[in-house]
Amino acid sequence: MGFWNRLQSIDRRWVYLVIWLVVALPLIFPFRIRPVASPPVEKLFNYIDTMPEDKALVLSVDFTPDTQAELFPMLIALLRHGFAHGHRIGVLSMQVQGLGLAEEALAQVAREFNQRARTREDSVIVGEDYVFWGWTTPEVTVMLGMGERITNVFPVDYYGAKTQDLPLMKHLKNYDDVGLLVSIAGSSIPLSWINYAQTQFGVRLGCGITAVSAADFYPYLNSGQFTGMLSGMKGAAEYEELLDSRLRERGPEWTLRRKGTEAMSSQTTAHLAIIAFIILGNVAFFVSRARRKP
Amino acid sequence: MNLSTDPWVWIGAVLTLAIFSFLYKENPFYRFAEHLYVGIANGYAITFYWHRILVPSLVRPVSQGEKLWLIAVAVIGILYLTRFIPKLSWLVRIPIAIVLGYSCGAYIPRALDAQIIQQLRATIITRASFAGVWTGVWAIIIFLGVIATVSYFFFSAERRGALKPVSYAGIIFIMVGFGASFGYTVMARISLFIGRLQFLLGDWLGLIR
Repeated sequence: MGFWNRLQSIDRRWVYLVIWLVVALPLIFPFRIRPVASPPVEKLFNYIDTMPEDKALVLSVDFTPDTQAELFPMLIALLRHGFAHGHRIGVLSMQVQGLGLAEEALAQVAREFNQRARTREDSVIVGEDYVFWGWTTPEVTVMLGMGERITNVFPVDYYGAKTQDLPLMKHLKNYDDVGLLVSIAGSSIPLSWINYAQTQFGVRLGCGITAVSAADFYPYLNSGQFTGMLSGMKGAAEYEELLDSRLRERGPEWTLRRKGTEAMSSQTTAHLAIIAFIILGNVAFFVSRARRKP
Repeated sequence: MNLSTDPWVWIGAVLTLAIFSFLYKENPFYRFAEHLYVGIANGYAITFYWHRILVPSLVRPVSQGEKLWLIAVAVIGILYLTRFIPKLSWLVRIPIAIVLGYSCGAYIPRALDAQIIQQLRATIITRASFAGVWTGVWAIIIFLGVIATVSYFFFSAERRGALKPVSYAGIIFIMVGFGASFGYTVMARISLFIGRLQFLLGDWLGLIR
């Protein structure tokens, strides 16, 4: 059996081993890759950056731990941006398993800001600067109900406090007070937000989605139904890059860990390996076929 | 190397390796981790439904003598369980019909607007489409792509005459779409793998700063 034939029948576990190595080695010995923001990412960033301060940023954590690697860095970046800009932030989840992730992200980012805070304006306080409504069901009722009165949909927040007693909720009654709602999802939930919240109440939407579903969501970006879009870990890295320069204006202590950007060196080497596999596989196929012909 | 001393990180690492062991071959460690995941996810969801939905929205108000009409709603909901009783299983149609009716009524008019009318509007070329050179080019490509792709799925006439080249162009657009989807899928899968390796090499083994 010749080299090209052997290549076609190679045990797939060798391929897995190569992928392990090309992903693991750049994580241990990283090289710097500077992500360049694509227009959908830039649009979302610029909109949050220029959104009126009296309007709230609502983040819907619509993903579960299986897509955490791609979507959690987006959630962190959006929370940092919202807090850095002084926006009121409301967080909810359309997935039960997303609650723990939302809680972890809020705790992490609130700690980052409060550790560096010198004044009350720099710090973030639950109930005053942000609210975590938690989860309730069904999603149709939540999405439509929030257009009328958020406190009716979520009478108590995730921590058990009555939402109508929270100072922030005096300025955040329904979608009229929301500047942008970003659904971070590993499923089609952003489309439900379009169907119910945008079509009925005209709320402005953005989305952070897994790379698998990016191709399905581009038409909604093109139509303007989404203001901006972050797709996959690359989208998160691009957003982190834009945010990094903004945060560094606050001082050198604002150099924060960026998990999306850290992953880009591994992502690049893995893609190069896969491209090489595809080319090799095709060459092997055509060479073997040519040799079989009399 | 700075090995973690957190037992939860160790549990996470061992379960991650158990799942990855499937790459070598099917084995009992993989099956254990898979079943554990499904069980925990369901158990968590059921507990959460009970404590966060049923107790505050149904059990508590009814036990305090408020909103007694909720009892009727609860009874209708419980009819879902009649599926398990063959003689009464027809009763399951009642809650299904209510949910189906409500969902269709809420969904169809809004989806029609959001997913058909708005999408059609975005396909139409107007003077505003040519605000920039490239926006104009993309608008024309989208317009041609939609026409060609829809033509490919037009099965009421034989592909002859003008329809033939247009529907072939449709195949090209579809293939480009598949290629983009496949590329994104590869990126997504690699990203998920990177996430796990960040955990194993960073949180567990302490090899990543």
